[in-house]
Amino acid sequence: MKWIPNFNSSNSLRVIFVIAVFILLFLSSIAYKHNQDLNESSKLVMHTYEINIQLERLMSAIKDAETGQRGYIITRNARFLTPYIYSRDKVNTSFITLKKLTADNPEQQKNLEKLFKLINQRFVSFENCLKYSDPKTYDKRKLDNHMFGGRILMENIRFKVDEMNDIEKAYLKKRLKIYDAEISLSPLFSISLFLVALSFILLAYRQISRDFERLKIYNKKLLISSGLIAESETIGKFSTWQWDLDTHKIDYSDNQYRLLGFEPGSFVPEKGTFLNFVHQDDKQTVAESMDGIIEKGTLPFVYYKIVRPDHEIRYFKSTGKLLTDQQGSKILLGINFDITDEHLLNIELQERNKELEKSNKELASFNHVASHDLQEPLRKIQTFISRVSDADKAVMSESGKNYITKIEASAKRMRVLIDDLLLFSRTNTTKKEFIKVNLNELLSNAESELGEVIEEKKAVITASKLPKLSVIPYQIEQLFINLIGNSLKYSRPDVAPEVTISSEKVNAADYPEILEQTVKKFHKITFTDNGMGFDPQFKETIFILFQRLHSKTDYPGTGIGLAICKKIVENHKGHITADSTLDQGSVFTVFLPD
Amino acid sequence: MQKNALNILLADDDEDDRLFFKDAFEEIKIQTNVNFVHDGMQLMDHLLNPDNKLPDILFLDLNMPKKTGKECLIEIKKTEHLKNIIIAIYSTSSSEEDIEDTFIQGANIYIKKPSDFNTLKKIINEVVTVNWHYHTSGLNRDNFLLRLK
Repeated sequence: MKWIPNFNSSNSLRVIFVIAVFILLFLSSIAYKHNQDLNESSKLVMHTYEINIQLERLMSAIKDAETGQRGYIITRNARFLTPYIYSRDKVNTSFITLKKLTADNPEQQKNLEKLFKLINQRFVSFENCLKYSDPKTYDKRKLDNHMFGGRILMENIRFKVDEMNDIEKAYLKKRLKIYDAEISLSPLFSISLFLVALSFILLAYRQISRDFERLKIYNKKLLISSGLIAESETIGKFSTWQWDLDTHKIDYSDNQYRLLGFEPGSFVPEKGTFLNFVHQDDKQTVAESMDGIIEKGTLPFVYYKIVRPDHEIRYFKSTGKLLTDQQGSKILLGINFDITDEHLLNIELQERNKELEKSNKELASFNHVASHDLQEPLRKIQTFISRVSDADKAVMSESGKNYITKIEASAKRMRVLIDDLLLFSRTNTTKKEFIKVNLNELLSNAESELGEVIEEKKAVITASKLPKLSVIPYQIEQLFINLIGNSLKYSRPDVAPEVTISSEKVNAADYPEILEQTVKKFHKITFTDNGMGFDPQFKETIFILFQRLHSKTDYPGTGIGLAICKKIVENHKGHITADSTLDQGSVFTVFLPD
Repeated sequence: MQKNALNILLADDDEDDRLFFKDAFEEIKIQTNVNFVHDGMQLMDHLLNPDNKLPDILFLDLNMPKKTGKECLIEIKKTEHLKNIIIAIYSTSSSEEDIEDTFIQGANIYIKKPSDFNTLKKIINEVVTVNWHYHTSGLNRDNFLLRLK
């Protein structure tokens, strides 16, 4: 569905978030490890220093013993021997501590063992020195030997201690170097990772706020459009409903409740609810069409009645469609139109139509009466008058003969009136078959019909090329006869009548007031004569039935001819106008659609 | 009754018209026997009665009580021994519909009742003297309605 905005960015947002979270987790684990390493290295340093201290302590204990021994040998005072006696314990304590401290380092353990041996040798040498320095067992050569041997041993011990310190320092240095290497790589890496994560989060934030803005706009639009839909439903008297075929949840629009005669949301619609409102006569049709919509997917318009709770009957028109959304669930969508007003109007129209048909029939029967029944007595009058022979007239008085003549004239006029009237009504009622003909042909027919008068009046009729049009031929011929006949009839007494007929194609747009604008092009056919003309103020009235500008004694006529012309032109969806200058001539203009 | 005279039958409910018709036939110098019937029923009875001699020309009014001229026309044309009678429609109406209908039903000529006695005489003279065989073979919609020259 196109109208749903695309918020797919939520997917990329999820990816960004997951990446950022992983980076952060990674960073924190690095930081944790870093911390551990630091801890470890400081422990290591501590360890090295402890070993160093213990070694120095060992060293100083031996030195104490050496110093004490020397003091005793020189002074023979037993007080000087005290540090010597304690030194042995101190050495042992330090030694045990050192053994523990170097438990993880076999090389140092070996060194420690060597150191232990050296220290033991030193203490043996101490004992020997004490022994040979004792005045009782004094032996200068052996004392010197042992003193010198002790000196060498002491140097060896120092050397061993230094060696052990060096090893420890080297080990520390090596370990610290490893950690340093690890740590020196991490800050740059972790900062860049952090920046990446930060930029990801910023990107996500930007996307979110952008989506949020869009959502706000769409939300607003949605609110407006749903408001508009609700309004238009009320104004347009229609309503919508949705039926989720999977969950069987049915939703009515607010106006659906109103159309059914309820307040919006006043009941919960279910599967059969709507059918309850449908009029008894239409229940089956509606039920069938509902089934049909599920099968076929669309619903052609169905017309039916519903009954409101207050028993008011409303006329409905409904249509619907089966929709399948992106998730594949099927939703039936329907629209109901309340067409009661149109329906009632339609009924009224139908009634009016019937009335019109009736009055049309009455007109037709009037036509029959006029054509048959009215003519019958008139014809008798005329025939009886014609039977009054010259012999009969000879015995009549002058006034009697006069009356007979007047009766004859009146009857004749009555006949002309009836004939013209019939012609006029037939222009309307007879079949209107449009045939494409050359108007020049119809004009020459008209001219030959008027042949006698043309000859008598020595009239000159000139016509330009007329178009070929789809017309009712006999009517257009009649139009030409009437228009030319009119010009011949109202010619000036001493001037031979001249009628000029010309044609041109014009745009309907140029005559917006008189022409039907749905047709683009018209043929403008003008009939110009040099007759007596008429006062232009009558240019509209001359087309009205029975309207005459001259007395019937001067110019016999019924006032129907031009009315027939107007009717004929109207039958062709055209227009006729007249204009004139008194004593100079008239112009009749006929517009016929192309 | 004259032996070689033409048999003419007029079916018309109007008494005046029958009078004009009778007078007109009397004034033209052609030997004819003219008979009259007053409505469609009477016409069909007359034609179907074997005692009556069939007319050479039937003048048929359309607007008659009991049975209209058109109904009679259809019946005559359906009846085998009557269908060759020359039928001249003789009516006040000159409506296109009536002319068209009677032409299709097989009438031979359509006469609009004239409003002048002399014209009536001319018409009758024309109808009686025309060569019907020739006229019928060349009959079309244009010459079906009688127009005096």
